[in-house]
Amino acid sequence: MRYMLQRAGWFLLTLWAAITLNFLLPRMMPGSPADAALAKLAQNGPVTEQTRKAVEAQLGVPDGNLLQQYLDYLHQVVTLDFGVSYAFYPEPVTGLVLQALPYTLILVGLVTIAAFVIGTLLGVLAAWKRGTWMDALPAVGGSFLGTFPYFWTALLLLFFLGYVGHLFPTFGAYSATTVPGFSWAFIEDALYHAALPATTMLVTSLGGWIIGMRNAMITTLGEDHVTFAEANGIPGRTVALKYAARNAILPNLTGFGMALGGVVGGSVLVEQVFGYPGIGFLLFNAVTGQDYPLMQAIFLMITVSVLVANLLVDIMYGILDPRTRR
Amino acid sequence: MASTPPPRPGLPGTLDHAAPLRRRTLLGGTALAAGLLASGCSLQITSKPDPTIGDDTLLIAGDKGTPTFTANFNPFNANARKAAAIVYEPLIWINPLDGTLVPWLAESWEQPDPQKIVLTLRSGATWHDGTPLTTGDVDYTFRMLKEHPANDTGGVWSRVDTVETTDSTIEITLLAPDSPALPVIGAMLIVPEHIWADVEDPSTWRNEEPVGSGPFQLGNFTSLQYTLDRYAGYWQADQIDVEHLVYPAASEEMDLVTKGYDWAYAYMSDVENTWMAANPHNRYWFPPGGIIGLHLNHDVAPFDDLDVRRGLSLALDGKQVGEVAAEGYMDEASQSGLLLPNQEDLLNPEIPDRGIIARDADAAIAAFEKAGFQHDGTTLRTADGEPFTFAITTANGYTDWLRAAQEVQRQLRGVGIEATIETPQPAAYEANLTSGDFAVAMGSSNGSDAFQGYSNLLWGEYYAPVGEASQNNRIRYRNDEVDQLIGDYRASVDEDEQARILQQLEKIFYDDLPVIALYYGGLWGLYNDGRFTGWPSAEDPYAPLQTYQSSPLRVLTRVRRVRNGGAS
Repeated sequence: MRYMLQRAGWFLLTLWAAITLNFLLPRMMPGSPADAALAKLAQNGPVTEQTRKAVEAQLGVPDGNLLQQYLDYLHQVVTLDFGVSYAFYPEPVTGLVLQALPYTLILVGLVTIAAFVIGTLLGVLAAWKRGTWMDALPAVGGSFLGTFPYFWTALLLLFFLGYVGHLFPTFGAYSATTVPGFSWAFIEDALYHAALPATTMLVTSLGGWIIGMRNAMITTLGEDHVTFAEANGIPGRTVALKYAARNAILPNLTGFGMALGGVVGGSVLVEQVFGYPGIGFLLFNAVTGQDYPLMQAIFLMITVSVLVANLLVDIMYGILDPRTRR
Repeated sequence: MASTPPPRPGLPGTLDHAAPLRRRTLLGGTALAAGLLASGCSLQITSKPDPTIGDDTLLIAGDKGTPTFTANFNPFNANARKAAAIVYEPLIWINPLDGTLVPWLAESWEQPDPQKIVLTLRSGATWHDGTPLTTGDVDYTFRMLKEHPANDTGGVWSRVDTVETTDSTIEITLLAPDSPALPVIGAMLIVPEHIWADVEDPSTWRNEEPVGSGPFQLGNFTSLQYTLDRYAGYWQADQIDVEHLVYPAASEEMDLVTKGYDWAYAYMSDVENTWMAANPHNRYWFPPGGIIGLHLNHDVAPFDDLDVRRGLSLALDGKQVGEVAAEGYMDEASQSGLLLPNQEDLLNPEIPDRGIIARDADAAIAAFEKAGFQHDGTTLRTADGEPFTFAITTANGYTDWLRAAQEVQRQLRGVGIEATIETPQPAAYEANLTSGDFAVAMGSSNGSDAFQGYSNLLWGEYYAPVGEASQNNRIRYRNDEVDQLIGDYRASVDEDEQARILQQLEKIFYDDLPVIALYYGGLWGLYNDGRFTGWPSAEDPYAPLQTYQSSPLRVLTRVRRVRNGGAS
């Protein structure tokens, strides 16, 4: 119990620190939201004084001192109402986030889970059959693919399968003429659009899980209790899964918890490359547009989910490994 | 005063300004992919148009999704869909190439004195719901902009005092003698009173189902594509041959090349081998739209010294800078501040070589020495013996400007100057220039409205000391002679006199070097003449190929379908 309370205390302290940093960091960027909007307009030639005035009036650029802004911000955090976006003025931040979130959760979330499950199983297999081709192929292949920067993989897939081969769509989460909704036509279309981004992320993240699991597993396989189990004539598969893998999975589980927490942040580069309307793309727009409200909302969502995921992993550790409870 | 006006400098009115100069090369996946293509892959990308797009439908890359569209057709809003600018129409259409004024919703106008403008409204124009467009709507638009300054992006009410209307005329009294206010007021988009008057706050209103007066009305809207359909009741409907316009959200460079676009506006690297090679009917036209140059902060020493500015100007070869920055598509800019050849007829004949200043390293060093610098054979030193160095500020991600700055840096080494380059994020660049926190910056200036170009950049009225914000006169330039000329111009409605004043301003721009002109920023028009013809060109420059602001209004009255089945 004391362990849980201690964890919860740390959780609250980190949460406050993160929330405060979320407030401060965007404001430390040079330039104001109006400057960002005008820089965008200036792409088309010099901007005049009158335009600046109108844009400042439109955006209602933050006034009041920093403390007042901070208090307003805390109020927003508690009420989950982040006001109106600057970069997408006059859209409300909450609406923008809710629109983008499902695409990211489904794409990045499913890929993360799939990568973890497939990678961990391949890692178990590799360690169990170490020295054979079943070890060499996933281990070498995984680390080879893992060295590909994922945006580069994304560009290659997009270029060859999308633009040259015309096999896959190159933009968006669904076709321009499909109406989003719970219809089979839409789901089919959405899956078709998700194929390339999902493949990109799966291919480049698989290696880490395989290697992690394989190495932990090999260490565990050398432990006395495994040797003892094998000596007792327990079937190989049971030894691998119940005696070795269950212990070896702990580090991978931590990684998985963190990865799940990061899912809501989306994948900025993959979403950029494929024009995927998720949180990653939204975050990119928020940062380039000096959109404080939107940045705050997204960063808050990311930090809170990473922290919650951490807390859950901590608690799970407490259950799986009695030693941490002391 | 003649009621049919001769060519006259124009000023862009709505949010985006008229001279698009800088191509955007922010982190964009497809842009990177395009780079991959350019960097040695010998694969040829070809266009694969959507077969469901009919002969009467023009596919236009006029609005880029981020990555999706939100329905916002409030033409005064910074984030409005780009097509909002052609759903609504201005009183006067202004050619962003040379500032020519074309009667639009106003069929004629006159300026009885420099403080008065009288416009006559065209009869027969109607809104998309069939309601006639009247001077009442014009009057309402003025009142609405006054009540909601956030919508007054052109700054109409910084110049207008009162507006009075009759059944057919609109009489505007200006705050001061201000004849150049005409294009600002002319460019204002008119909105219908019977719809907008009931809107609670026209500055935050999204106007999702716009009712305008333009040649096209909104058809389908989805978050990835919208269409505009021809409005049969349009006042010049006989000039509109295109039935539908399609604006997809996917309009990155790679999409332009592969998806069979009829019209796009984008700087495309190596255009001959990318855009042109993708389809035999693909064409491009890149006329100048502004001047890219070194903007010097005149409140920062030694750039307040004319000899230093002259030295810099003589040390640089704008032709070569343009070659490096814009792949040779754009010419060296004239130090007269004019866009040549667009504004050839305004050029002061006394300016040598049409304002082109050739590089001359010896003369440059001589100019610097006159300013107290010493050149020891390799390094240019200030009077106290320190090597002369300064930072050139350019915005991060504007790759063409960065290449230009690097070429400037290289050429300056030829006269012993070691310049550094600073690349703040675009927002920070904007903030630095506005507050005067820079010494030398890459910047764009001038444009189709020659007078507006000089007055925005040089007028003492816009001066603010370093640390205070000035959006227009960011170079902090002060010159009594210029102020006098600007005042005289504003107080004149005599075209000959105005032309003379412009020539004097050109001469000062040439002699006093407020900015060092390097090369012309281009208007990057791409089109396909397989399914539609009548596009503007160097021979018939009736409009630029801008897909934004009011330009498409004019282009779409001239574009015709190819009916003999010659599409490819």
